Amino acid sequence: MWRRYRLLRFISPIAFLLIWDLVVRLGHINPLFVPSPAAVLQATVNMTLDGRLPWAVAASLNRVVQGFVYGSLIGIALGLLVGWFRAVEDAVDPLVAAIYPIPKSALLPLFMLWFGLGDTSKIVTILTGVLFLVLINTVTGVKAIDPVLIKAARDLGASQRQIFVKVVIPGALPNIFTGLRLGAGVALILVFVTELEATRAGLGFLLWESYQLMLVQQVFACTVAFGILGILSTWLLQWFERLVCPWRRL
Amino acid sequence: MATILRLREIRKVWRIERTGEEMVALGGISLDVEQGELLVIVGPSGCGKSTLLQIVAGLEQPTSGAIEVTASNSHQKLTGMVFQEYALFPWRTVRENIVFGPEVRGVPKDQREARAQALIDLVHLKGFEHRYPHELSGGMRQRVALARALANDPQVLLFDEPLASLDAQTRKVLQVELVRIWQETKRTFIYVTHGLEEAVLLGDRVVLFTARPGRIKEVVPVTLPRPRSITGRREAELLDYLSEQIRDEVERALQAEGLT
Repeated sequence: MWRRYRLLRFISPIAFLLIWDLVVRLGHINPLFVPSPAAVLQATVNMTLDGRLPWAVAASLNRVVQGFVYGSLIGIALGLLVGWFRAVEDAVDPLVAAIYPIPKSALLPLFMLWFGLGDTSKIVTILTGVLFLVLINTVTGVKAIDPVLIKAARDLGASQRQIFVKVVIPGALPNIFTGLRLGAGVALILVFVTELEATRAGLGFLLWESYQLMLVQQVFACTVAFGILGILSTWLLQWFERLVCPWRRL
Repeated sequence: MATILRLREIRKVWRIERTGEEMVALGGISLDVEQGELLVIVGPSGCGKSTLLQIVAGLEQPTSGAIEVTASNSHQKLTGMVFQEYALFPWRTVRENIVFGPEVRGVPKDQREARAQALIDLVHLKGFEHRYPHELSGGMRQRVALARALANDPQVLLFDEPLASLDAQTRKVLQVELVRIWQETKRTFIYVTHGLEEAVLLGDRVVLFTARPGRIKEVVPVTLPRPRSITGRREAELLDYLSEQIRDEVERALQAEGLT
């Protein structure tokens, strides 16, 4: 039974592409707005061969990865401290409450003012977006640890430091990964937004430029590329989570 | 028999922060625990028996009163606790859970691994060393928790209703196992339960608690030979006696909560 359904998973996307192609070929849709899948593929191949697409992806990845990694590291470290130490929580909480609701893309102008028009301001914007999501989820993770585990660790002779390292950190990991997944999504949104201004490199820039030149096939190609980046980041994080949390049923 | 712990007038008062009310959980407990005995504490729920165990473990401070330890070896860890909800670390395998105590106490790796192996054999978990807790049944999890507590080689094992969340069949098996392990390890066991049958089956002495505030109502020595059977005549008589004693306390507890 499941075999038949599983086959459907392959059939439905192919059918979708075929119908899309057919509708465009029959002239029901203006190809100026919706190009055929073949035209999109052609544009993708061309942009790959002339190097524009790989170059744009590389520039964007550089920003995304740096912003994501720095934001995650700060978010995890801060989140563990906020979640575990009451004093740190009281000190940091009001700041988080004040900054968290600001759309992080709205911080880009300030960051450009402070860090210049180059990559740094873009990376810092992404970092900020990732940081808060990871921070908040890490704090939740620490607070969600069953108090009886802390008691058991104390009973077995663990010091406060050992409890932090051997109970709090592994106990918070599942929620930390929730934060990382959300952070990866936001990082991709923010890299697109930050590349609309003050750059001539990156997938966001290439997409926006293609739009302005009315090269719809290229717009589609770049959009698909963004989607692929999203899928790859999800897979990478899943793989990493399995590696770090082998006890979880994933 | 030598006394290993002397509890002197242990009182515990909880303060409910929101209302400022005070609730007396333990109303002065004095009790001598003998070396190597299997001491069972029974009482109606809310009588403070778990709180007393936490105080003995050093996880809670008594409001007043003291515990005198007449331990021969001050280097050895005094107590080890087995919790009702197992309290196993989900990210550690069976073996890794068992070595937690020796690991944080700085026991060299080869020593603690050897100790873990011996304990895995003792609690019959061979072949499951590399499983995670969620891959085990409730009964097996409690075996791991017992082995983990034993890994520190404490002089006194504390059990906080360890079998309460297991099914009846598994509970019976583990009751027999517990007596076997108690006999093999020759440790002092303090075993808190609300099950009277369990008290009859396990205890050298049964300490009956009153309803809140928890006080000792009676200490009943049990001289029945082991292995005991709950269907035995003398066991049944003892069970009847304990039931009668505790019935008043349960009624008092319900009245206090306005449930009757």
